[in-house]
Amino acid sequence: MSEKELGQKWDRCLADCAVKLGTGLGLGIVFSVVFFKRRTWPIVFGTGLGLGMAYSNCQNDLRSHYVLHSKVAKEE
Amino acid sequence: MILKQILTARFATKVTIAGGAIYVAYDSGLLGDGKEGSVTLGRAKAAIPPAVEEWVKYFGFELPATPKIEFSPLDAWNSGVQKSIHALSVAPSTVSDYTKQGLKYVKDLTK
Repeated sequence: MSEKELGQKWDRCLADCAVKLGTGLGLGIVFSVVFFKRRTWPIVFGTGLGLGMAYSNCQNDLRSHYVLHSKVAKEE
Repeated sequence: MILKQILTARFATKVTIAGGAIYVAYDSGLLGDGKEGSVTLGRAKAAIPPAVEEWVKYFGFELPATPKIEFSPLDAWNSGVQKSIHALSVAPSTVSDYTKQGLKYVKDLTK
């Protein structure tokens, strides 16, 4: 993986982390207000879910360069 | 009977609101891949200034202009790293020079 590609992947990771954290926080707030009488734990849970999704995406993105991809030839 | 209907209607409304929020998040690509997330962030960044301007026009007051800070964290970090490593690399010769100077000074004092 070239340094430029690695830098782009890290940029994507950070952007995705911000988006997922915000989404998790937002959905956590919605669920907390609508279902759980404005308790804190759904907000924390949602934020944690967002962070976990971002971590998983980042991990896949950084590993994808080293994963072998194969194509199955169609039988004619 | 009526109370039960009211409670059911309330629950259905809550489920609709929560489900709608999840659907909107999914549909706008917020819950997808890393690439989609960065694209969505770019779109949001592009959409915010016109939206803020529109709201300001609607409410009729002017926001103070954002001060332009000319500070690059990247440049500051890089220069910090370079200076630290340079200092580490010249540290042995600098220490030896100072030690020699100190010894010479002490020798001169004892003469």
